[in-house]
Parts: sequence; structure tokens; C-alpha cells
Amino acid sequence: MFSNFDFSVIPPSLPYIWQGLVFSFRLTVTAMLGGIIIGTLLALARLSGGKALGFAAKTYVDLMRSVPLLMMILWFFLLAPFFMKITPETSALITFTLFQAAFYSEIMRAGIQSIPRGQINAGFAIGMSYWQTMGNVVLPQAFRNMVPVLLTQTFILFQDTSLVYAIGATDLLKAADNTGKLYGRTVEMYIFVSLIYFAICFSLSMFVKYMNKRIAIIR
Amino acid sequence: MNYQWNWGVFFETIPSGDVTYLTWIIHGLGWTVAISLCAWIIALSLGSIVGTLRTAQHRGLALIGHAWVEFFRNVPILLQLFLWFFVVPELLPHDLSMWVKQDMPAKEFITSVLALGLFTSARVAEQVRAGIQSLSRGQRNAGLALGFTQTQTYRYVLLPMAFRIIIPPLTSEFMNAFKNSGVAYAVGVWEMVFVSRQMVEETGGQVIESLIVPTVLYIICSYAANLLMGVIERRSHVPGFIVAK
Amino acid sequence: MIQIQNVSKWYGSFQVLTDCTTQVSKGEVVVVCGPSGSGKSTLIKCVNGLEPIEKGSIIVNGTKVNDPATDLPKLRSHVGMVFQHFELFPHMSIIQNLAIGQVKVLGRSQDEAHERGMKLLDRVGIKMHANKYPGELSGGQQQRVAIARALSMDPICMLFDEPTSALDPEMITEVLDVMVELAQEGMTMMVVTHEMGFARKVAHRVIFMDHGQIVEDAPKEEFFGKPHSDRAQQFLSKILNH
Repeated sequence: MFSNFDFSVIPPSLPYIWQGLVFSFRLTVTAMLGGIIIGTLLALARLSGGKALGFAAKTYVDLMRSVPLLMMILWFFLLAPFFMKITPETSALITFTLFQAAFYSEIMRAGIQSIPRGQINAGFAIGMSYWQTMGNVVLPQAFRNMVPVLLTQTFILFQDTSLVYAIGATDLLKAADNTGKLYGRTVEMYIFVSLIYFAICFSLSMFVKYMNKRIAIIR
Repeated sequence: MNYQWNWGVFFETIPSGDVTYLTWIIHGLGWTVAISLCAWIIALSLGSIVGTLRTAQHRGLALIGHAWVEFFRNVPILLQLFLWFFVVPELLPHDLSMWVKQDMPAKEFITSVLALGLFTSARVAEQVRAGIQSLSRGQRNAGLALGFTQTQTYRYVLLPMAFRIIIPPLTSEFMNAFKNSGVAYAVGVWEMVFVSRQMVEETGGQVIESLIVPTVLYIICSYAANLLMGVIERRSHVPGFIVAK
Repeated sequence: MIQIQNVSKWYGSFQVLTDCTTQVSKGEVVVVCGPSGSGKSTLIKCVNGLEPIEKGSIIVNGTKVNDPATDLPKLRSHVGMVFQHFELFPHMSIIQNLAIGQVKVLGRSQDEAHERGMKLLDRVGIKMHANKYPGELSGGQQQRVAIARALSMDPICMLFDEPTSALDPEMITEVLDVMVELAQEGMTMMVVTHEMGFARKVAHRVIFMDHGQIVEDAPKEEFFGKPHSDRAQQFLSKILNH
């Protein structure tokens, strides 16, 4: 079945693949951290802000959620050159952060809303301001409750980083694609890189399961 | 910013044919919808079966279901598409392999539907499993106590309720499939992402004009699908039963 | 009708049933009681094979339940069962709940099944709610429907698994009335319950279970007159003096 395959191309391409993998991770972590921070602000804007601010946040979130990530990647990458010089990698980092913020914001909103009203009242009752109550009482609880869901979103995010293929940013998939084409062995490289993705994603989903159980016990 | 607007571009003809760009985008929409719907049919039917298997009392069946989900869930959709398109034909017997590579009609479309359908089936299966497991154990027992076989218990008791409960998450899985259909550009299906990219290139950088119409069409389709699922949800509402959101 | 011989059952390494032996004859009403966690619910679920057993044997109407060759669906279709939490099918109307088993398992026509269903609903006093859904009825009403659903299969015997323990006190009587009537008609019944009033009224025998064992198995008069075991005495004094 694999008789006409040549997997000997894998070892020499490892350093390049490694660079791709590092970028995939960098993209994932940046978009996750940036996305959670901006997403939390968006969620707060929707829940507490005035009408205009809440409406703006909702519009942003709804827009991002109804347009494919692939389209957003193209939008930013193709429009940005009219304003500045930008590499595909930087473009991907910015697009992913802004895009993921919408998804993390929905998760944080659900998390904040799951905290009983009494907790907010208790914060006010000991003299905390609205923002103090949010920062010290509500958000820490909401965040802890939502850790498994946030991780599940990150799992999707990590897989989606492969979409930067469309703008030629060198992530794990693109690196494999490039070396495969260089050696004329794309089939072998695709199989190899699938195994890498599988190993990472499988471990991540096991970790989410473990967190789910742990959090369930704490509750 | 030195962007040259040209809204008339939609009515210019494309270099490779005699249709206008606007017509081309509409055709793109057709392919996007076709891929999404066909893939969804595969995802929903296989996902229902696999999700049900995962709750089976038979260990072996549950294991098959589990393996299916892990297999199709843990590799990105774009790469799965490449696997189906470039790798699987290499693994086929020689004659079949040659036929797939050279003569198979609509190869790009069929591969895309298959890849997206199987990828989504794993996620549908997880929702179906969660739906069935959210029902009380007593419901299964009640079905069995009436003399139903395992299959009948699923058919008449467990699945009808499970599906009602999971309509909201299934809606978002359908939307995901719809949005993920864009990856088909990578193997050359002329759906909306493909058309947008081509159009940017061929018009010499009319980025906004090229991307705005497909983007708006995506938004409209998402909205329409949401409305439709809302109608289905209300239609299938069970009186006196609060469906958990 | 029902023979339970030397039955033992484990959940992993935890033994839930230990060497239980008893029987229910045709036309007999047997009440099973005992503190929670004593294995009484597990025992009754073993009777129609909803729970597997590891040792011993259970024979219902001449058919061995724990025999892999037994057609369990067929056996269960003759054994009515009523659950603690009613377990009506929430997506079907009341009359559909009564018809589905008759049509899909017994092969009756829709018309026949509906006719029989309406008769039974009339009998348990729910006829006017036939087209409502389970979620629209009170607990007591739902449990009466559940009894009617079991009866719609023309069972040769009935199993009740704590039929009143999920009900508000004011609804318990309406369910017990239906059960008393059924007992008086000569239905073979095995009832897991704490309702000692019901036991006094219609039971022939009372079984007391504790820690997965049948501690006491005696005719009603004897059981209420003077139980042999201390544990049964303690249980009775607790349950009767409140």
C-alpha cells in the first residue's frame, strides 16, 4: 500500500516543519490571550455598557460569528497593504486575535451571566464599585467556570490556524506543504503532518476532558 | 490610503469567460450552498448513527463510535481535505487510483463534500451523544419495560427527545459547516472564497468590491439558517417541557 | 409467576444483592420495603431484566430472565412496570404514550390501540386529558397514566418501583386508589413502597430488605403483628410513628 512512498524526506525537513509548528503555537497562544482579554471587555460592554456601546459590541460579535474566518483572513491581509507594510504572519496574528475575541466574548458572557445576581449584590454590599465587583468577585468565578469551554474554543482555534495557508503564512501545514513540494513528496508530508496535528489535538482534548472532571468536582 | 474605487467592476466580464463578475459570484454562492448542504446531509446521518453508537450498551459498538469521533475531529478540515484529495487516491488499487486521478467527474466537489461531511459528522456525533446522555436513565428503562427492543427504544423514545434538545447546538454545527465550506477553494472548487480571491487578482486589486458581496451573502445565509432552525425548534416544541439551552 | 432463586448482584466490587430468594404466585400482591439503599429497587429491576444479575436465577411465567437466549423484549411486553419518576415519553401526547407499545410491540392497529387506551384512561380518570402532553399534567396524574400505559399491554403481572415516592403527599392517594383497585381485581403485583397503609390493605405478603438481603418474608398479618428481626421492627417503628 505504501510501496511507492518515500518517507525518507521527513528527517531533512524537520527543522523547517518545527519552525512552522512554532508559528502555529505562537498564533494560537497570541489569539487566545488577546482574544480572551478583548472578548472579556466586549462581554462587559454588552452586559453593562450604555446602549450605544452594547449595540456596537453586539454588532461586532455577530458580524465576526457569521463570516467565515477564511474571509476575514483575506479581508485583513488584502486591505492592510493600503495602510502599511505587513507580513502574512503579522496579518494572521492580528486577524486571529480580533476574530477569536468575538467567540471568547460569547463564552465569557455566558460565564458572567451564570454567576448569581446575589454575588454582585454582595460585592456592592461591602462597598465595592461596579468595576471592583466585576474584577474581584464576578470575573474570577466566571473565568474558572468557563475554563473547559475556553479550552474547547482554543482547540478549535488551533485547528483553524491551518487556514493561514490561504495567505501563505508559514504555519505547520504550510511548512509541510512547502517541503513536500520542494522534494516532490507532498503525499508523505501530508500524512506526517496529520499525525502531528492528531497527536496535539488528541492530547488537548484529553486535557479538556480532565479539566471538565476536575471543575465538576470543585463545584 | 490610495484606494481606487470601482463599483462598476461587477458588470465587467471575467477574462476566462463571457459572464460578469456578479454572475460569477452568484455561481460561487451556488457551489457554497451545494457543498454545505450535501456535506450536512452526510454529517447529520453519519453523526446520528455514530453518536447513537457511542451510547450503546455494547462495548464494541461504543468503541467504534469513539474511534470515529477522535479520528475525524483531531485533524484540521483543510488538511483532511488534502488527505482525501491528494493522499487517498494514492492508497487505492492502481486502476481505481488512475480513474480517480484522471477521469472521476466533479472530483473537487465530491472530495470537498466528503471531507467536510466526515469532519462535521464527528462534531454532530458529539452533540447527539450529549443529547441522549442528558435524558434520564429511566426513559431507556421505560422503553425497554414496555417490550421495545434496543433499536425501538432509540427510535421511539430516546432519539426524538435527544434531537429536540440539541437543536440549538446542531444549528451552530450547521453554521460551522457552512462557514468551513470555504476551504474547498484550496482544491479548486469555484465557491465564494475562490471567486473572491480570483476577482481580487484579476481586477488588479479591487479588494473591497471583490470581498464585500460574498461577505454579505455569507451573513445573509447565516441569518436565514438561524431563522429556519428557530422555526424548526418552535414546531418541534414539546408542551410543558422546558428545553435546556 | 415470579421465582427469584439465590440471586446475587455486584456493582464492581460492591455487592448490592446477596443471595435473595422469594417468589410471587399468580394473583398475589407482594410488598417489598426497606431502608433506602437496601437493594429493593435493584431487585425489582432484575425481575424484567433491566439490571443483569451475576448469580442465581429469575424465572417469570416459566421463562428464565437471565438466560442469554431469552427474548427479553417479548418477556417485558407481558410484564408491566411503573417507575418512581413516571417516565412517560415527554414528546408524545398521553394517548400516544398508551398506544405506542401496543402498536409497535403487540402489533395492534392504531384504532384498536387508541380504543383500548381510552378505556384505560377512563378507568384511571384521565380521559379528558388524552390529548395533552405529560409535562402538562400533575405528578399524580402522570403516574396514573403510567399505570394505564403498563396495563395497555395486557400484562400478566405488574412491577411497581416506588410509585409514590416522587409525589407530593396530596397526590399519593389518587395513585394508591388505582393500585388498590388493581390488586382487588386479582392482578399479580410486586410493589416496592414505603406505603404501609397500602400493604395492610391489599398485600398478601411483605418482604423486608436490608443491605441487599431479604431479612424478612412473611404473610402480612405476621409481618405487622410481630416481625422476627430487630431491623424490621426498628424500620416499622420509624415508619409508622411519624
